[in-house]
Amino acid sequence: MLMRTPRTVDIEITARCNLRCRYCYFFNNPAVVYRDLPADEWLKFFDELESLGVMNVTMAGGEPFIRDDLPALLEGLVRNRMRFSLLSNGALIDDEIAAFIASTRRCEYVQVSVDGSCAQTHDSCRGKGSFDRAIRGIRTLQRHRVNAAVRVTIHRNNVNDLENIAHLLLEELDLPGFSTNSAGYLGTCRLNAADVLLNRQERQVAMATLLRLTQKYNGRISASAGPLSEGRMWRRMQEAWAQGAPAFPNGGRLTACGCPSSKIAVRADGAIVPCNMLAHMELGRINQDRLLEVWQHSSALNQLRRRHTTPLTEFEFCAGCSYTPYCTGNCPGLAYTLTGKVDHPSPDACLRRFLEEGGTIV
Amino acid sequence: MNRTDRPIANPIVVLREEFDDWAVLFNPDTAAAVGINPVGVAIWKRMDGKRSLKEIVLEIKTSFEDAPEAALEEITAFVDKLAEHGYVGYELKDDTDHRTI
Repeated sequence: MLMRTPRTVDIEITARCNLRCRYCYFFNNPAVVYRDLPADEWLKFFDELESLGVMNVTMAGGEPFIRDDLPALLEGLVRNRMRFSLLSNGALIDDEIAAFIASTRRCEYVQVSVDGSCAQTHDSCRGKGSFDRAIRGIRTLQRHRVNAAVRVTIHRNNVNDLENIAHLLLEELDLPGFSTNSAGYLGTCRLNAADVLLNRQERQVAMATLLRLTQKYNGRISASAGPLSEGRMWRRMQEAWAQGAPAFPNGGRLTACGCPSSKIAVRADGAIVPCNMLAHMELGRINQDRLLEVWQHSSALNQLRRRHTTPLTEFEFCAGCSYTPYCTGNCPGLAYTLTGKVDHPSPDACLRRFLEEGGTIV
Repeated sequence: MNRTDRPIANPIVVLREEFDDWAVLFNPDTAAAVGINPVGVAIWKRMDGKRSLKEIVLEIKTSFEDAPEAALEEITAFVDKLAEHGYVGYELKDDTDHRTI
């Protein structure tokens, strides 16, 4: 159900980053203007968010900790009665900023990317020295009792390291859990796709390993996309199909994803977009267009929200597929980057294609 | 200092109104949130530390035709529940005798 105002706003608070990861979705997107806004622009926008009752802001980038004025920006969120989360590579987190974050009492979590159990694996895509700095960042957050979350992005170089990664994060670092995803065909990853994207066999290994590990660690590994999520979803779809079960409540149409009914995003240059994965869809500009107007009346955004009414049977891509009653069409961002169309199922998440290529569901 | 009967909404709490006139009260300090119905929203907006609970009930009875007979008890229980969870406080009255002898 559409909310009257966005509950959450995802903000790319900077277009700068200290790393150049080989599968970064953010850089090398020809539709994006890589320019930072001054703090006063953001602070003015935060006042507007307060007036709309926005509850949470997620700051990503780029690397948010690269901004020297990050404390002032976070104070702006606190002053405007919001909570916040930060997505980071961890390298620039020191005692001073961690103590500041803790002092706000408004931080949901700081998410640090960890892609390997050791420097060799992690640094293969993120650059030399980045593993040590990420781990140091996590330990600094823990020391200051800031909720440290970890995201593991799975790619060709770490798919065989997942067991060790789980051990590092859940046993050595004693994190309550971590989330996973996989490198997607977006941004810089498009330039390095052959080296980083999982092929069919690797995807199958990732799914099987993660499904096993999530049992071993009693659900402490989560995913809303990527191999673990697909492994679970595809297993349900295959079981439903084998039993001749009725369509899933959200199946058979382009129901993924539901984000545009509760959240919206802003690029580093101030362009309002539906989602960071749909960074080309400019809906307006902060401090020039009223966010409420964009949220409630943007025709492009409302069209995206109506996507869920489109039956999968309309697409040639889905013709003859037995799984359509159980399929949601998946991420519109990946659909766009792979097919050039937002209103299309994402080929990357197609169970039939995975099986036709020789994949099996464990 | 004694508590008055004038409830006041915690100013840090955010009222998020939705299209159906229901709303969410969100405390950003604790991340706690609670859903309230349209009558609850009307009560929330009147808890300014100036109106007494009885005055609020009277206004609600005027605004909502189907307000129940036991509105005072129900609204009192609602406000007490909000107070218990930190969404609401009460104005304090300074009863101290400041005279010196």
